[in-house]
Amino acid sequence: MFEVSDLHVKVGATEIINGLTLRVPAGETHAIMGPNGAGKSTLAYALSGRDGYEVTGGAATLNGADLLALSPEERASAGLFLSFQYPVEIPGLSAIAFLKAALNAQRKAHSLEPMPAPELLKLLREKAAALKIDMDMLKRPLNVGFSGGEKKRFEALQMAVLQPRFAILDETDSGLDIDALRIVADNVNALRAPDRGLLVITHYQRLLDYIKPDRVHILAKGRIIASGGPELALELERDGYDKYLRAA
Amino acid sequence: MSIAAELPTRRIEAWKYSDLRQAVGLDTHVLRDGRDIIERLAPGTQRSTVPAGENRLIVERIGDDQHMDARSYEYALEVGASLVRVVIQSGSNLPLSMMRVRLAAGAKFTQFVLAFGAKLARIETHVSVEGEGAEVTLNGAYLAGPGRHADLTSVIEHKAPGGVTRQLIKGVARKGGRGVFQGKIVVERGAQKTDARQYHRGLLLEAGAEIFAKPELMIHADDVQCAHGNTAGGLDESALFYMRSRGVPEAEARAMLIEAFLVEAIPEGLPVELHAELVGAVQAWLLTGEPPAAASLEGTI
Repeated sequence: MFEVSDLHVKVGATEIINGLTLRVPAGETHAIMGPNGAGKSTLAYALSGRDGYEVTGGAATLNGADLLALSPEERASAGLFLSFQYPVEIPGLSAIAFLKAALNAQRKAHSLEPMPAPELLKLLREKAAALKIDMDMLKRPLNVGFSGGEKKRFEALQMAVLQPRFAILDETDSGLDIDALRIVADNVNALRAPDRGLLVITHYQRLLDYIKPDRVHILAKGRIIASGGPELALELERDGYDKYLRAA
Repeated sequence: MSIAAELPTRRIEAWKYSDLRQAVGLDTHVLRDGRDIIERLAPGTQRSTVPAGENRLIVERIGDDQHMDARSYEYALEVGASLVRVVIQSGSNLPLSMMRVRLAAGAKFTQFVLAFGAKLARIETHVSVEGEGAEVTLNGAYLAGPGRHADLTSVIEHKAPGGVTRQLIKGVARKGGRGVFQGKIVVERGAQKTDARQYHRGLLLEAGAEIFAKPELMIHADDVQCAHGNTAGGLDESALFYMRSRGVPEAEARAMLIEAFLVEAIPEGLPVELHAELVGAVQAWLLTGEPPAAASLEGTI
């Protein structure tokens, strides 16, 4: 269970998230849709603990753990995963070395030994194959020279390897062509499980044709202004945000 | 102390950031031009030739803790010859090194300097591209911890057409550490079709770290490709957050990012064990804050 209540977040002097409340029960997939500037990415960063996103009020918990009291790395080990809208390029660090460091750091946080190299390689091969990622790509510097679609597929690979309890997907569809979108969506759907929740942040309804949400929320002016079933996304696509913004 | 009286002052442009007189402990302020000073301080110049078509690898480990350790070398690379030089500088006093290399047509000189700095460490390299189509790779990395001064200075002169220069210098400095990069590339009138690129990237790891950079391109030919770039700043916070958001603790993430940043300057094609030694030395510094012990550097290659 992922729970956010009355969250307030400031960036600089500006309050971007302004009393946001959200519950995603284990096993469910929720979508957050909203116009530009609604605070979608701010919400994702604040929940993951990025510097510069100051939480000034409210609470956020994952399976009872107080996320706001934890460092970004502790949140990750508690099972939180953020799929970045713009994954970061790190020249000089191979994608494999990055994945290995991440996986073993999380294992260490749970008092587990590092995964033996052959086992790790086998795991990577299996998960990469499902995402149609060439193993040679993983030897390249992290995200450097990856296309937009490759970066998003690599985010999905990290999620598949790290097996988080709760994943936030920030604009995962941006930069993806239709084939890549289907591959990424299939792999995200494969991660759906009774003990795992997903929060899909998106601009467009298109992604929700592939990753079908149980609930849809509209984020505007830093709050959830409307919630509903999957049909809400279709209404939005038809009518636009205006109607909801005026009501808010 | 007659030679010491000739030491350059900081008023000499080429020694602006590396105060050799102060490091030696001289208090006189005689103006000297500072040129060739390392050669004059060295007990002699070792001269060597790489014959046409031959390949040579030299690994130089400067770890002596004598008060001053000045070395001077001259290499001539004949037609199509190749020289790879790797320098690992540790120690803590006054290591000074001057290398002069002349390249005949089609010769190839590749250098990588890993400098941990000292009271004052200066690794200076002068390359003269005298034959057509010669290639120079002059990379380096400096890691200046507290109280350490690491100076990488180079002059590359293109005197013949079609030469190629690639220079990538990366460096990090901690509080109280000072990194210096001075890199001059001269393209003479006759050196048409020269392709030269010079990049210096410095990372200031803490407040109170210092990095001085003086890149210079002097181009006298009109049909050349030259590019240069020079940056100094802090660690990429977005990369740091990316790693932490995947569960890597902050200290480990920092070390991995700094290592990734530095090892990018290691040229491709070095022997595997040498490459591993260089990466290992960087990792050891990141872990302990100290350069590898001089003793551990002897004779591994």
